[in-house]
Amino acid sequence: MMDMEHRAPVESTSALHLRLGSFRYADADHDTLRAIELELSPGSLTVISGDSGSGKSTFGGVLAGMLPRQGADSCEGTFILAGQRIDYSPEHSPRIDVAGWARHLGLLPQDAGLYLSRIRQTVAEELVFARENEGMPRKEMTELITEFSTRLSLEHLLERDPSKLSGGQERLVALTALSAANPSIIVLDEPLAGLDSTATATVTAMITRLRAAGTALVVLTRTTEAWEAEAETLLTLADGTLRPATRTARTAASSSKPSGFAAAAASEKPLLAFAGVQLGYKGASAPVISDLDLEVRAGECVGLAGANGTGKTTLLKAAAGLLKPIAGKLRVTAESGMLLQNPSDQLFERTVTREIAFGLPKKGLQRARVPRILEQLGLASCAQTHPYELPASARRLVALATVLVREPRLLLLDEPTEALDPAGLQILNEVIDSVLERGGAVLFSSHDERFIARTAHRVHRMPRQ
Amino acid sequence: MKRRITQLHPFTVLCLAVFTVAVATAASVWWLSCAVIVMCLAIGAVAGKARKLAALSGAIMLPTLLSLLMIHGLASRDSSPVIAAWGPISLTRGGAEVAMMLALRTAVLVVVGLLCGLLIDKHQLVAAIDLSPAPPQAGYLLASTLFLLPQMMEKQHAIGEAQALRKAGTGRGLAGWLQRLRLRAVPLVLSSVQDAHDRSVHLAARGFPARGEHSRLRQVADSQIQRGVRWVALLCSVLVPAAILVPFGGAA
Repeated sequence: MMDMEHRAPVESTSALHLRLGSFRYADADHDTLRAIELELSPGSLTVISGDSGSGKSTFGGVLAGMLPRQGADSCEGTFILAGQRIDYSPEHSPRIDVAGWARHLGLLPQDAGLYLSRIRQTVAEELVFARENEGMPRKEMTELITEFSTRLSLEHLLERDPSKLSGGQERLVALTALSAANPSIIVLDEPLAGLDSTATATVTAMITRLRAAGTALVVLTRTTEAWEAEAETLLTLADGTLRPATRTARTAASSSKPSGFAAAAASEKPLLAFAGVQLGYKGASAPVISDLDLEVRAGECVGLAGANGTGKTTLLKAAAGLLKPIAGKLRVTAESGMLLQNPSDQLFERTVTREIAFGLPKKGLQRARVPRILEQLGLASCAQTHPYELPASARRLVALATVLVREPRLLLLDEPTEALDPAGLQILNEVIDSVLERGGAVLFSSHDERFIARTAHRVHRMPRQ
Repeated sequence: MKRRITQLHPFTVLCLAVFTVAVATAASVWWLSCAVIVMCLAIGAVAGKARKLAALSGAIMLPTLLSLLMIHGLASRDSSPVIAAWGPISLTRGGAEVAMMLALRTAVLVVVGLLCGLLIDKHQLVAAIDLSPAPPQAGYLLASTLFLLPQMMEKQHAIGEAQALRKAGTGRGLAGWLQRLRLRAVPLVLSSVQDAHDRSVHLAARGFPARGEHSRLRQVADSQIQRGVRWVALLCSVLVPAAILVPFGGAA
């Protein structure tokens, strides 16, 4: 698992004991993490909340042995994992065998798609990818797949191509693959993001089962709400250090009904209209959506709800003009702008300012709006930062800014709350309000039922195909 | 029949391809080259890939044939009879024969190679290498090479969609295509590097590439007969060309 000179066997009943003095990224001028002490016992559930940029994902990387990067980051602290003691000091970081470490402690990253190998043809193969590399006999792998797919109701996905899954399905498959590797500690970064209610219940049940089997779980999340009943330890990561979370301090995500609903009733012409529309992808055996009838009028905010894989993203892409209907009639009478589910797909410039100005005419009115949009979305302080260096919430706001700078009348949002912290959520609500106030309309997909209930004037539920 | 062909072990297909190309190239007779090409098209037809095989082969062979004709046919200095002449340029019989012979040899290599590419499932090939005694790095290298292009295609599609949403790179015709190429190239390279960096750490955590004993869920059908065919094909790939090319005792 690590260099011999830094390895010392230790007798301990806990699954992990961590004392982290400090962690600092290479070239950073301050510590991202400091003075952290954490002990995990077998079967425990520890929930760590924190705003975007608080260092949750960094902490996950440190726990998983992926950070510090040797010869780059600096770290001071001690790990006791699987009976072995590992010491980090500013002078020397032991070389970590990530695969050996992952047999004891596995991490599901925030962008769950990154966990998938992308070199296996089917979900079934992806589930046992780690076990293949360990040399597990085929018969045992088959049994493992049957057990996990039944437990997580994944049977219908087993023969699917992992790269063609929806965001929620991808997360579920990645989580199952991680569980199938059977580490004694599992760290989950935002495990419920993008999951529908059925998948959320399935994951929650699975976590309970894993704990019963002795697996210690650490959940890194924006909000502890969903975990309060189950968790033994609730912590908050703020200013780089862990503190006990007080129940009242937890999750104060505000969201209120958007304005402009009155305008909707008065409006006659819809900005977006689907009539008997069928949508699908080239080469697919069956359409994703059939017989879709939906209208969105000016001043209206409409939520799209439904299980993972029912075609919410497909519908939004068609409304944005990225996909042509196979059958039926689709009419869009206003300029549209779309926020994609994964903001990384939407960002490709060197700085936030350049990103927002991408594709705009050099001397146009739209380009003059860039500073105002930066202010409106609270991004002025990171105007010259590379979008990939921003925390997830800010990255999503940058992607939103690239849409808003064109002032679309029809705003299409794919899972807009995913990865947003409370401050980001507040900004999102203000943006939705501003679009409705200037006579526009908003169509968004979300699995966050509370956000839908608070934000949408009405909800369109996607049927299972 | 189709199922039998597509379910052949990837190594069997490759060994037969090596044997065919080696013998046809060594023999260098037009009727054998033609027979090999026709046989490949017939196998392609049975496997349902004939149209794709013909189109791809044509796309490669037509420019090759034209360039060979220009080099050996038109610019030939031999004294054989002239078939046609255009001022200082003339097409001689000897030059045309040389060009056709070289084209047929190249065609055998191209058609057999393309047929292999169409018949062999890349996932089956990687699995076959993983399950063979070859070092695990071989499967890793092949997987990285074979899957890089499709992944980059997917990524450039996503970038294209995101740019289209911003009304960039939506032009038509050659100018539009060039603009799209310019706009997508840098983000494609940067995001591919970023993705490889982010994904590699999780691949390593999942033990990839395997350093010791490893297994595969995927089964690659094989048989004693196929194993025998492979050995015979490989042996003949060496012996038959040697018998054709090496002048044994008695040769003048």
